Amino acid sequence: MNGPFTFTLKFPGDLEYIPVVRKFVSDALQANEFSPKFAYRSEIIIDEICNNAVSYGCTSVDAAITLTFRVFGDHIEFSIQDEGGNPEHIEKLKSAVRSEERPAPEAHAMHTSGKSSMGLEIVRMLCDDLTVHVGQNNLTSISVVKMREETEPEEAGEVPA
Amino acid sequence: MAQPRISVSQSDIVPQITILKFEGDFDTASISRVSGGLRQALEHNPAFLVAEMSEVLSISSAVLGELMGGRKAMVERGGHLVIAGLCLEIKSKLTLMGAHKVFKFFNDVRSAINAYKWEYEGRAEDLCLSFPPVLKFVPLVRQMTSRLAKQKGYSGRDSFRIETIVDEICNNAVEHRRTGSPDNVELSVRIDRKKVEIRVVNESDPEKLRMLKEIMKPDDTAPEKRPAPTADQKRGRGLALVKMLSTRFDVEFSEKGTSVHATKLREE
Repeated sequence: MNGPFTFTLKFPGDLEYIPVVRKFVSDALQANEFSPKFAYRSEIIIDEICNNAVSYGCTSVDAAITLTFRVFGDHIEFSIQDEGGNPEHIEKLKSAVRSEERPAPEAHAMHTSGKSSMGLEIVRMLCDDLTVHVGQNNLTSISVVKMREETEPEEAGEVPA
Repeated sequence: MAQPRISVSQSDIVPQITILKFEGDFDTASISRVSGGLRQALEHNPAFLVAEMSEVLSISSAVLGELMGGRKAMVERGGHLVIAGLCLEIKSKLTLMGAHKVFKFFNDVRSAINAYKWEYEGRAEDLCLSFPPVLKFVPLVRQMTSRLAKQKGYSGRDSFRIETIVDEICNNAVEHRRTGSPDNVELSVRIDRKKVEIRVVNESDPEKLRMLKEIMKPDDTAPEKRPAPTADQKRGRGLALVKMLSTRFDVEFSEKGTSVHATKLREE
C-alpha cells in the first residue's frame, strides 16, 4: 500500500491523553518519511487543537474526541471533532478563525478566565489551511492542512557552501 | 500581590467530590485562610478533595505544608486530596520541593474527576484506533498502547506484556488480511484499574482464516503425543505467546472479518 493513509483515533475527553496522542501522530509522520522538524511542528498543532477540543468541546465527563489524520505524499490533513461545547466558546472560536488580519492576542482569548490563548494563532502560523465547522448541537470540527516543507540543507545532509 | 481567595463548592458531576478553588498569591500570611478553607471543605465530608489552582500566582512552602495536613486528614478518612490546574512554573517549583511524591497533580478538574471515577468507581476508559493495514505502522500502535498503560499507572512489566499482545495480534491482522483489502485494522483498548481488554478486527484472507480456525480448534491429542515444535517452525507461535501472556483470549469469526479479543489482568 502506498497511501494516502488514514488514521482515526477516538479517545476520552481528558487532557491526560493528549501526550499519548501527539506522540503517536509524530511517530506516524516519521514512519512516512516526514522530517523530525515537520513531525514536531505537527505535534504542536495536535497539542493545541486537542487541548481546545477537550477544554471547550467536552461538556460531559464521558465525552470523547475523534482525531482523523490523512497522510499524503506532499501534505497531511488533520480533522478533530468534539461532542459540542458551550455556545460562548464556539462563537469565540469562529471569530478567531474567521479574522483575516492578525488582531491583538486579547481578541483571540478563548479562556473565560481572562487569560489569552494563543493556541489557534500558533496553529494558523504552523499550517497552510485552517477551517472550522460547527454543526448541530454545537458539534465542532476543525480541519488543518499542512504541506510538506522543503528539505533544508542540514536535513538532506548537504554541506552549505 | 493578588489577594488570596478560597472558595469551596461541591462538584455538580460527582457529588462525592468537593472542589477547593484557590486564587491569588498564597504566602505565609495566608495560612489561616488555607486552613479555614480546608476545614470548611472537610465539613462537606467529601470522598475526594480537589484543590483547583489554575488562578494561583504563587504558593509558599508553609501553605504547601498546610495542604499536606489536609491531605493527611483526607487519607485518614479513606479519601484523597489532589491538586489540579497548576501552571507549569509553580508545578515545576513544587516538583523541585518533592511535592509530587505526596500529591497527585492533574491538568484540570475534569482530569481529577476522571481519576476519581477510575480509582474509586472502577470506570473503564476506551481508546479506539483505526490504522492502515501496513506492517510499518504496527510498532507505533504497540508503543502507543504501552504509553497509555504507563500513563494509567500500570507497571513497566505489565505495559510491556500489553504491548507484546497488541504487537502480535496487530501483526497477524495486517499479515493475514484479505489480499488487496483497503480496509483499516480496528483496534480498541478498554482500560480500567484492574485490567486491559484489547480487541482487533480485520477483514481476513479466506485461506488464512481457515488456518486460524484450525489453530484455534481445541486439541484433544494428549500433550505427549503432540508433535514437538521444530526450530524452523514459523507459524502459530504468535498466538501461543498471546495466549500465554493474556488472562483470557478468544477469536470470533464472521463474514465481515476476524475479531481477536485478549484480556490482561493487572499484576503489579
